[in-house]
Amino acid sequence: MSFNTEVIWVVISFILTLVVFSFLLGDIPFFRFVSAVLIGMTAGYMTIVIIYQVLIARLAVPLLQGSRVALIPLLLSGMLLMKLSPRLSRLGNPSMALLVGVGAAVAVGGAVLGTLFGQVKGALVFVDLARAQKGPTSLLLLVEGIFFLLGTLATLFYFHFSARKVKGKEPQAHWSIRLLSSVGRVFIAITLGAVFAGVITAGLTALVERADFLLGTLLFWVR
Amino acid sequence: MKVLNYLIAAITGLIVLLGYFFPGTGISLARSPLLDWAVTLSGVAGLVAILNLVFHVHWKRIQDKHPRRLYSGALIVTFLLTVVAGVFLDPGSAGFQKLVTRVQVPVESTLMAVLAITLVFASLKLLQRQRNWMGFLFFLSVIIFLVLNSGVLAFSTEIPILTNLLSAFHRVPMAGARGMLLGIALGSLATGIRVLIGSEKPYNG
Repeated sequence: MSFNTEVIWVVISFILTLVVFSFLLGDIPFFRFVSAVLIGMTAGYMTIVIIYQVLIARLAVPLLQGSRVALIPLLLSGMLLMKLSPRLSRLGNPSMALLVGVGAAVAVGGAVLGTLFGQVKGALVFVDLARAQKGPTSLLLLVEGIFFLLGTLATLFYFHFSARKVKGKEPQAHWSIRLLSSVGRVFIAITLGAVFAGVITAGLTALVERADFLLGTLLFWVR
Repeated sequence: MKVLNYLIAAITGLIVLLGYFFPGTGISLARSPLLDWAVTLSGVAGLVAILNLVFHVHWKRIQDKHPRRLYSGALIVTFLLTVVAGVFLDPGSAGFQKLVTRVQVPVESTLMAVLAITLVFASLKLLQRQRNWMGFLFFLSVIIFLVLNSGVLAFSTEIPILTNLLSAFHRVPMAGARGMLLGIALGSLATGIRVLIGSEKPYNG
């Protein structure tokens, strides 16, 4: 029985893989059908996770245990569900306000404590390493550190879009900012190239794995 | 009503934010339930989004006899089957996990494989259209990192100079990535503050 179930799943996987690969021939109906199935299944899975992990675990269980504080998130959740109705949608705004307010505060805290402090410290780590070493290694580390710091600052300056008004001319940024911005573009091109190469590598790994699965299954059936 | 919404966003946001900087105080104690409620509400918001997608967008397509209503029907049927299976089998059970992953894994990994092929063609087209030094630099970077990622230079461990050179190459994108991360963080900081002071009110929709 278990063997038969496994065979059915392999056949399903085989068909699904072939149908998705058919996208390379164009946007055909089979591919659209599988996409719809995937979205439906993912939405269903997320719904089940939300029901069990949020609605039951965080709302129903505390209420059944007699927690009165749990009435507040229950009320807010009920108000948020009003968003489903266009007429009652406005009743969900206070819940959205709490969600957005807390989200904004977490974003600010995370940006300051998590990213800004961490990345600035990371950008200066070479200076600390250079201080700890002596001789040519120290100098090499310092040069490397300055190079990376320049790269980081130049990339940051690329996103500086403010410009000064000049009479009779198009508004433009100061020459030093434009220079740093050009250097930043070089670093951004290299970084995005590296990211792109990473995505292609991951995709190629998946391609090899799927091709191996298709060939392996075909050979198994032929034998 | 709008003032009430703003007050809720500003006060809850301020309590959570101050809780970061004054740990162990009363503010920090008030922060914990607010974060809990926000987690619950984000789950409910996800549920609202899913129900809207399934029963407003796709159900409406079937009612309106949209040319692609067949796919919408397939989506709704799969959604309902998954929910029913989840309720009967329990989401943590091996059976339910198997049911979902046996469809998700082949489809998603094949989509990733298709992505690799389309990305290679797209990058070649990009190089043909964008014949400037930035396009060339991007393409050169892609080639170099594809070679580095492939592992064909694994023999370099026996040549110290080459090892150092490759290690330096690997670290160059770190500078750009760090700059981008700092940019994103500064953007998040500015947007967060705008929401907290009421310059942006995305909740009044």
